[in-house]
Parts: sequence; C-alpha cells; structure tokens
Amino acid sequence: MPDLSHELTRLTTPIEAPDFQLKDMDGEQYSLESYRGKVVILNFWATWCPPCRREIPSMEALHQAFKDEAFAILAINEWETEDHVFAFMGQLPVDPSFPILFDPDSEVAQSFDVKGLPTTVLLDTQGRIVYRAVGGRDFDHPEVKRIIRDLLADSGTPSR
Amino acid sequence: MSYYSSMGKRAAHTGRFRQHSIRQAIQLKYIYLIFSLSLSFAVFAGDIQQHRDPATGLISWKVQHPGLSLQLIQLLPDYVTAVYSARGLPPLLVKTMASQCIFGTIIKNESGEQLSYRVADWRYVTEDGKAHPIKTKTEWVKEWQDQGVSFRWSILPDEQTFEPGDWSQGFTTVPLPPDSSLNLIYTWRYQGENHKGTLEGLRCAPAQAPES
Repeated sequence: MPDLSHELTRLTTPIEAPDFQLKDMDGEQYSLESYRGKVVILNFWATWCPPCRREIPSMEALHQAFKDEAFAILAINEWETEDHVFAFMGQLPVDPSFPILFDPDSEVAQSFDVKGLPTTVLLDTQGRIVYRAVGGRDFDHPEVKRIIRDLLADSGTPSR
Repeated sequence: MSYYSSMGKRAAHTGRFRQHSIRQAIQLKYIYLIFSLSLSFAVFAGDIQQHRDPATGLISWKVQHPGLSLQLIQLLPDYVTAVYSARGLPPLLVKTMASQCIFGTIIKNESGEQLSYRVADWRYVTEDGKAHPIKTKTEWVKEWQDQGVSFRWSILPDEQTFEPGDWSQGFTTVPLPPDSSLNLIYTWRYQGENHKGTLEGLRCAPAQAPES
C-alpha cells in the first residue's frame, strides 16, 4: 500500500459544486448549500476501500485543528448501509466528529465525477471546487492546513 | 581410484585447468556484463518486484517505471465473495465475481506531472500466447445494471488522468480459473508519449488459501 501523500491538485478553473441533500446515520438531512461561506472538504469513501480507512484519522485531526473556523468536512459514504458503517466506525482508532453522509445510489458521487474511491474535493467559501485529490491522502499535513488557511483568508474569514 | 592417484591426475591437469579457468573467468565476465546490461534494460522497461505475503501466502507483483508504479495482488475467491456479499449484492452477481481471477490493483502517479491510463488499451495474455481485452469497469457496471443493481464500485476505474500524488485502487478481473498463468500488458501516457509495459508470470490466486 503506497504511503499517503499530501498533494492536492488546484483546479485551473474553479467549478461550481453541484448541490445535494444527503442524510447522516441518524437520518438528519444535510444540504451542501447550507455550507456556503465555509471551506468544505467532501470525501467520497467506502468501508471496503483500504486507503479510505487509512485517511480517516488524518481527516479527524484536520477537523479538530480547524474546529473553531469556517471549515467543515463531510464524508460521503458510497452504497453502504447505516448499520454497516456504524459497525465499521467501532473498529476505527478514532471516532470521527465530522458528519458521515450516505449516498446510497452514488448519484452525488457521479455528479462530482468521482471515478474511484477515495476521492476528495476541497470547496472554497463560494461553494466552488478548487482542489481535488484522487486516492488516499494524509490530510493532517502542514501543506493541507496552509491551503485551508489561504482559502479562509481569501474569503476574509480570519484563521488563527 | 585412490585419493592420491586422483591428486596426481589433478596435478597433471593443473595447467589445462588454469587455462580453462581463465577462459571461464573471461566468459563469466562477459555473461556478467550482458546480465548487467539486461538488468539496466529491465530497470528501463520496469523494475518488477514479487512479494509473497508470509501471513496469507498470497503473491503480489509491483512494477516501477519512471513516473508510474503498478501493483497487482492475488485475491482469493473467498475474499471476493466476502467483499460483494457484504454489500448485499445478489448471490448470482457474487458468484459471477468470485468465479473471476481478480487482482487487487494499485496504480499510482509517482511523477510531478500529469499521467493517464486507459484499461481498454490493456491486455492479458494467456498461456497459448493469445492477447485478450480486460473487461472494464464500465462493462461490469452495465452488466450489474442489467441485473437491476446500481453498485458501481470496486473495479479499477476505466481511465483516469492523474495529477501529481493521485492514485487508484480497484479490482482487475480476468475470466480465468484459479492458479492460471498470464501476462499483463498495460499502457499509460506520460510526458506526451504512450508507454507500454508487461508484467510476466502473473498467477491467479489459488481456489483456497495457500499454506503460509
């Protein structure tokens, strides 16, 4: 299994992220539109995908590092049931504090042109896809944090 | 023949032995030189490493090219069955997938530039020397959809353009029985040129877990 790198690819032209409504494990509805004004990481994943599992702890560390900022992580599970994911979460070394959403028919993944798992996109505060990463990443990396701080600064949202 | 007479014969032939040894040394030097050159070419063509997992007894192959690494890992039919069963997929679909020879496949852009691949251009070569196309993810997903299943994951994506740091993991399927031998011809595009490599001596996973 390759080491997880931290490289995110900046899109030459930002793309408007398609809106979606998805439910979490408790049936609560989430809308991407409601995150406008925040820097958002959307991570498409599944429990059977080894690199997806490996990057979750680094996402949690990143989430904790920016917990007081205009920043959010939404982990979008592909084609699995709430029961299956709930059981899986118990096996992780960390308990993710960011929302786990369910994309049961993979329609949201398709709307973001996700070809393989994991795929991660980073949205600016205007709801545009500005960075993309295919394959597992170490999100708890200074370079990833710098990118997020720069996006927060660009929007005029102060970052500590 | 006694030990001593044997020694005498050896002494009598020492000169010839020496000449022969020198010739042999020169020949070995040339063989070593040719071998070294062939190794250099192998590195250029792709540096292949084979690894046997001591815990599972299963084999994986990793080939390294400038900018690209490709790894194929044997997957047992039982593992494949577990993966698809756990997704709640229909038994017929699970059985079909478990009947395939499946390799876990990791393909990674290790360059600082864009790199792309297209599974439709890849071929597997059976022992009779015939080359066959690899069934793509799109073809599998279409087959699953025809069975009323909307699952679209697990198979290596058909084609991807990788940016630096990007990589993918998924299944590569070939319709061969357990323990079959095959070669894989794979292609990729890098620095504006098409490249081709061959992974020789691949072997499908056995039907049952090997003795580790």
